[in-house]
Amino acid sequence: MKTSMRAAWLTRGAIIATVATLALGSTLLSSAASASVKLPKSGVETPSGGTVTETGSTLMYPIFNLWASGFNEKFSSTTIQTAGTGSGTGISEAENDTINIGASDAYLSPSVVQSNPSLRNIPLAISAQLVNYNLPGVTAHLKLSGKLLSQIYQGQVTNWNAQQIASANPGVTLPNLPIVTLHRSDSSGDTFLFTSYLSKADASGWGTKIGYNTTVPWPAAPGALGEAGNSGMVSGCKATPGCIAYIGISYLTQTLQAGLGYGQLQNGKGQYVLPTSANIAAEAAGFIKKTPANGTISLIYGNINNGYPIVNYEYAIVQAHQSSSSIAKNIRSVLEWAINKNYGSDTSYLSQVDFQALPTKVFAQSIKQILNIK
Amino acid sequence: MTTLAAGPATRRRRASSGFWRFLTYLALVLIMAPAAWMLIGVLARAWSHWQWSVLWTKATPTGGGLRDQILGTLILMFGVLIIAGSIGVFAGIHLAEMARPNKPAGRLSGPLRTASDVLSGFPSIVLGYVGYTALVVGLGWGFSLAAALIILSIMVIPYIAKTTENSLRQVPTGYREGAEALGMSVGYSLRKVVLRSALPGIVTGLLLALAIAAGETAPLIYTAGFSNTLPHSLTHAQFPYLTYVVFSYWNDPSVQKHYLSYDAALILIVIVLLLLVSSRIIVSRTQRHAESARTTRTGKRLWPGRGQAVEPAKDEPLLGITGAPPR
Amino acid sequence: MATVGGVAGSVPGTPRAEPVGKPPPWRRFGNFARRNEENAWRGVAWVAVLLPLAALVFAVSVLAVKAWPAIRVNGWYFLYGRDWTYGNGYGAIVHTDGVAHQMGARFGAWAIIWGTLASSLIAIVIAVPLSIGAAFALTERMPTWISRPLGFTIEILAGIPSVVIGLWGILTFGPWLAHHVYPVIADHVPDVPVLRYFSNPVGTGEGLMSAGIVLALMIVPIIASTTRDLFAQVPPLPKEGASALGMTDWEVANKVTLPWVRSGIVGATVLGLGRALGETIAIAMIGGASLQIPHTIYLPFTTVAATILSQLDGALTDGTGFAVATLAELALVLAVISVGVNLIARVIVKRTGRVGAPVGGA
Repeated sequence: MKTSMRAAWLTRGAIIATVATLALGSTLLSSAASASVKLPKSGVETPSGGTVTETGSTLMYPIFNLWASGFNEKFSSTTIQTAGTGSGTGISEAENDTINIGASDAYLSPSVVQSNPSLRNIPLAISAQLVNYNLPGVTAHLKLSGKLLSQIYQGQVTNWNAQQIASANPGVTLPNLPIVTLHRSDSSGDTFLFTSYLSKADASGWGTKIGYNTTVPWPAAPGALGEAGNSGMVSGCKATPGCIAYIGISYLTQTLQAGLGYGQLQNGKGQYVLPTSANIAAEAAGFIKKTPANGTISLIYGNINNGYPIVNYEYAIVQAHQSSSSIAKNIRSVLEWAINKNYGSDTSYLSQVDFQALPTKVFAQSIKQILNIK
Repeated sequence: MTTLAAGPATRRRRASSGFWRFLTYLALVLIMAPAAWMLIGVLARAWSHWQWSVLWTKATPTGGGLRDQILGTLILMFGVLIIAGSIGVFAGIHLAEMARPNKPAGRLSGPLRTASDVLSGFPSIVLGYVGYTALVVGLGWGFSLAAALIILSIMVIPYIAKTTENSLRQVPTGYREGAEALGMSVGYSLRKVVLRSALPGIVTGLLLALAIAAGETAPLIYTAGFSNTLPHSLTHAQFPYLTYVVFSYWNDPSVQKHYLSYDAALILIVIVLLLLVSSRIIVSRTQRHAESARTTRTGKRLWPGRGQAVEPAKDEPLLGITGAPPR
Repeated sequence: MATVGGVAGSVPGTPRAEPVGKPPPWRRFGNFARRNEENAWRGVAWVAVLLPLAALVFAVSVLAVKAWPAIRVNGWYFLYGRDWTYGNGYGAIVHTDGVAHQMGARFGAWAIIWGTLASSLIAIVIAVPLSIGAAFALTERMPTWISRPLGFTIEILAGIPSVVIGLWGILTFGPWLAHHVYPVIADHVPDVPVLRYFSNPVGTGEGLMSAGIVLALMIVPIIASTTRDLFAQVPPLPKEGASALGMTDWEVANKVTLPWVRSGIVGATVLGLGRALGETIAIAMIGGASLQIPHTIYLPFTTVAATILSQLDGALTDGTGFAVATLAELALVLAVISVGVNLIARVIVKRTGRVGAPVGGA
């Protein structure tokens, strides 16, 4: 009896010891595995295979389509499923974890950050926004200030030959055409960018009354139309002579084909600036030092010489804690590939949508955020 | 002698009648013209850039084909047929066969029928929102085939129940009485006699439900999401279907996708046409059956729909009386 | 005695007595099924018929639970107010009545609800006369070889998905209306206060009028085919008698046929109204998406269903969840309206019943 009891105790002790060692060992191993994700020399990890789902910003939609083809060529095991549904959708679907990568032109709001502590916004590229108009016969790039745009979108300036527009554009024959303002009907990062510009340029007017967000209560301007997506803005403006619309720069080719002109916007220094790549780069350069590690910053209406005023980081909205490590690896791989200057951020891709690659410092910050996706 | 010529009042009445008749024809034209315009317009847009390869090529980010979307719509239809079909038919059986007025089931059948009708009029987007809140996010399934099938089935069950009930009610009570007199159990007589007679009506209802399921968009956007590829699992994977293509591709940056949008519209119209034509054929085949033909006293057969007036067959015991065999 | 069935079974021509003891297993299931088949059918049928009710209750409860915080904070303003703003998304979070929401958030849905009611009203006003007229044309004195295919075409129209109709509306029909029909109306409308609603500007074809016409096109098949079936069921004797008395076709229709089917037409109209109230996709494509009541009938507007569809994702960016709760409240309003309309119509149909006793007795 005694020997059997001792045997029982010994066996029990042996079992406990083995289990404990195994548990300790596996935690050590897994924490070791999750603690340091190392980037290979190419700068891009190999994905585990499968489908990575992306949805959101229509500004990013064209480049994500290009990236999807390019990425699948390099890693045939993994496909990217894209959709252009608006930045708001990108953010919310990423919040609910129903999508792997949400694309957004807008960074996360404090309330979203508070209720989703593991949600990240990771800058992927630098983009800009145009203000387009459909004025047949006007070939000049109209000078438009933030205050003027604010008045137009509030319905205070209703005709293209109004005195406010004419005095800013001497020498341009403006037609007698009612202004039809186009805005985004879906929850849009472009709305966020445009209203940020209006809020900063017209702080006492638009800034106080309406503010900025991915959806705003648009004032009742005569004939104001809502369109879905950047494509909707292009086709809607094309069909409406006298329209004015805010459209992302990745649709520049489409706007030119549709016969729409784009304006010179007034920046913080009072200069009227064209959306050339040099001017966009200048604006972005002025904010590099201020960009925090989490990428949350507005690049709009800076006090920068020759800086185009509506410039922004394009964000990937991702959950830092993924449900499985293979999904996390896929997402990391896609994002690393996208911002790498040899792959997704090569000029051959970005020039098709007039985007710019991230500056070195921001690139490093984004890589750090990406490596934390587990 | 009074003349038989029409007086002024009569002429006025006849003229007004002619005027109203003209208006009814005008109404008919006003309905037909846009309908024809729409069908022709969609077909023309799709046909001008049509490639048969669209049917079997997979979709790509910038274009490609619609293979998985077509398969997805067909799978959704099939799933709805099985889930909603079985539940709806059984519900119709209950309402028609088991709800006798003097039994407890009968008293409840009125409210149940009302609930079914109310559900059929329920807005589809609200059901989609409920599906999103309860299934996609609440149960954590994510955008998935499972969530889509459940919501679509809920939408479609009332239609199937109603058509099943109606066609069961049209089966003459003589059949049931005869079956009971022969000693058949309720289940046996249901299977072999009643359901078999009502089958064409039930099938029509099922086809109609399939057409509804194929054409829905709003609830699917919030339960199935969208995808270019058929997934391998029922949950946690977005599902492809045709109607989203029509909804969003017409305005896509890639022109190739505009063509896909029209192609998807064409394919949807073809699917719906096939379903509706099949149900019409089934209905007309059974109406031609001797069942609903009547024989006059002189032995002449009167068929419905051939310009010969036939009273609709009511609850008439027909077993052996007209010489027509039971279905 | 001892031999049960022995004697009986061994004499040829006499029937076997019942065997004693349990039947073998493979027979037992068959016997069980045969005895309980009726109960099985009843049970399954009961479950099936309770499912629609359960689904309805479930849907409404989910909505009510989700919407409750918004109902408390929005109050009655939700039903009559016109401001629809999510508040400052990038500002502070405030609390009202213990519910967190973004600062400045204010939700008045009257313009949206108005859009649903107005578009459905336009659709009914256009669709009902057209449907009744077309049904008359199809059933009275039209040869079968025309009326059959035309009737079938109308039924096909009922099955066309709303997306396809919306696609045609936005690509072809809307612009055509805006270029060829609306300017004609707008230029020739007299400058009377009520009719000013029909004057310029005519917009681009995306708006209330276009949506109403497209909605009418969608509900005509429902009303027309139901009405046509109703007309076919009117007994010929009263009609023939009236004709024999010298009434013209129109008088027969007006005094005999229409009263007979009046309640049925009401029922069909309500079916169509239900579809119009809940229609989402076509309005989302052709309505123009403006959250305000339009100045003229041609300008953009929105409906409750279209708003839920296009705003849900945007609402989710409100981290406090208040915007989503408000959309749930909006969905609840739509559900209540459509269920209410349905129930009221059923009451009307039941009350009026079979109007029109057989003319001349019988």
